[in-house]
Amino acid sequence: MSLSRINPVNSLLLTLHVTKVRFRILSRYKGWFAFDFIFPIVFAALPILIGVSVAGGPGNAARAFKTNTGTSNYVIYLLIGSIVMMTVETSMWLVGYWLRWEREVGTIESIYLTPARRIQILTGVSLYSGMRSIFTFVGSYTFGCLLFGINPFQGEMLIAMLFLIAGLMPMWGIGFLYGAFILKVREAGSLINILGWGMAFLMGAYYPITVFPVTIQYLALAFPPTWMTNGIRSSLLHLSYFLGAWHWDLGVLVLYSIVMPLIGIWVFTAVEHRIKRNEGVGKF
Amino acid sequence: MEYVIRTENLEKIYISKGKGLFRRKKREVHALKGIDFQVKKGEIFGLLGPNGAGKTTLIKILTTLLLPTSGRARVNGYDVIKEERKVRASIGCMLMGERGLYWKLTGRENLEYFGALYYVPKKRRRERIEYLIELLDLGDFIDRTVETYSSGQKMIVSFAKALINDAPTLFLDEPTIAMDVHAARKLREIVKDLNKQGKTIIYTTHLMHEADELCDRIAIIDKGEIKAIGTPAELKASIRQEGIVRIEGIIPQKALEALRSMGSVEKLAVEEKGGKEHLRIITANSRSALPEIIRVLVENESTLEYISPEEPTLEDVFVKLTGRTLSEDTREINEPEPDKSR
Repeated sequence: MSLSRINPVNSLLLTLHVTKVRFRILSRYKGWFAFDFIFPIVFAALPILIGVSVAGGPGNAARAFKTNTGTSNYVIYLLIGSIVMMTVETSMWLVGYWLRWEREVGTIESIYLTPARRIQILTGVSLYSGMRSIFTFVGSYTFGCLLFGINPFQGEMLIAMLFLIAGLMPMWGIGFLYGAFILKVREAGSLINILGWGMAFLMGAYYPITVFPVTIQYLALAFPPTWMTNGIRSSLLHLSYFLGAWHWDLGVLVLYSIVMPLIGIWVFTAVEHRIKRNEGVGKF
Repeated sequence: MEYVIRTENLEKIYISKGKGLFRRKKREVHALKGIDFQVKKGEIFGLLGPNGAGKTTLIKILTTLLLPTSGRARVNGYDVIKEERKVRASIGCMLMGERGLYWKLTGRENLEYFGALYYVPKKRRRERIEYLIELLDLGDFIDRTVETYSSGQKMIVSFAKALINDAPTLFLDEPTIAMDVHAARKLREIVKDLNKQGKTIIYTTHLMHEADELCDRIAIIDKGEIKAIGTPAELKASIRQEGIVRIEGIIPQKALEALRSMGSVEKLAVEEKGGKEHLRIITANSRSALPEIIRVLVENESTLEYISPEEPTLEDVFVKLTGRTLSEDTREINEPEPDKSR
């Protein structure tokens, strides 16, 4: 008789333990703070400073920016785009790259040898990813605003948080798809990078998607991060939502939040089963 | 008789695709060919075989890491395909050596994490970890991160990880491979104690003396098939009526070829150590064959330094069944092939 007791309480504790262990490992890499907080601000600073230079000063930049986007607050606009882009990227990598990382450090087979359900482990990883993303978003946004001398407390902050949370959940679904892809293709790093940048381009990190041709706009709307970015911006800067009201846009994201994880888990499980029938998960 | 493991006609075929854009041919590797065996409750069962023999594939199927192509297997009464979680909850495994740990966590944190992944309740987990720290003498390094450990320390913590859920069946794959002699001896003693407490242990090793010392029964696997199965004594008795001759010296290739062509030489295994050849020859009758063997070696310009008839060992059983020594096979893996083009 082994000590294993598979029941709902221990399952919940398992998921929380996965989250705790991920944070513990993160805490032992000293550079994470810089990566999470500083990079989004640097990525936002580049277009802000280029824009100001090209427009001939902050006033001109604000006027020109308002013509195209509906707001003169280009600093927050670009900061949000940059942070959401990094959050999306990190979120997908943390979930999708989880398997690759476990493979590289050699622990993937150890995990597969335990009776833990993969979905419980993935939930723990997703929880970690979500908490880290929210932490990153709030930290970078506040720090970025203070750095550029702008009041961070403006607009509908609660609605913006709802868009952030609802926008992260479809990311986990996409992360599971990435995970399945990595399980199958193994050396998928460069392709995932390209896909990540493609998504950053389509989600309108530094511009409204209305600058795209109509067909590309429809393609952009197929990606949850586009709705997430626009929702957060619109709630904080009083811009227009895609469907006219915040609750309709949020509804679309909630729908994505249900559908995308289901698709991701289904594909992941199918690929995992297929791989177990041939070479096994630990080989790379 | 209660069996912990039963397999029926277990087959595994790996399929790989060739490289290239067009006409990627499928390549099939038959890793297991109709494996049938049982492991009795409470025994230490050894799996012996060279690299690529199929023993890792077999263990991966039994521990649910791989699905068989056909056939059936049950572990602790559970089907490895249909009841994989129950199988996993009922076994402890040490399969990846030192690679199965998180290097940024301490040994204790690793044990806590894997205890949680085995659904061991928190209080029982803590007690179990303290017990394992004492049992395996981990106290000096358990609270340091694994990245600071020696290979032997990583192996012993991996062993502790296999014991975290106190499973009735243990799968240990080369558990002493990175350990010094003292640590390996201690681990073998612990394995024996665990077995006395009632645990069934499936043990793979390429060290014949280890298998001989520990295992109640042994299966010798080669090319995906079980070549022989039995107690160490039974396996050795199967070649006792024949004769084993051990010879050391400088023996040129033509002498080896001449020996191989002798009718009385059944199997011949060669190892090179320190510039000398070490031969193990299995003959139908060593007393009558020995003079002829010496004559052939001397005529073919061999310098003989040591000749001795010997009692058969598991190594001899292995040589007879596979035609090569286990250490010879390991050397092939660890050392690069000499450049034959020169």
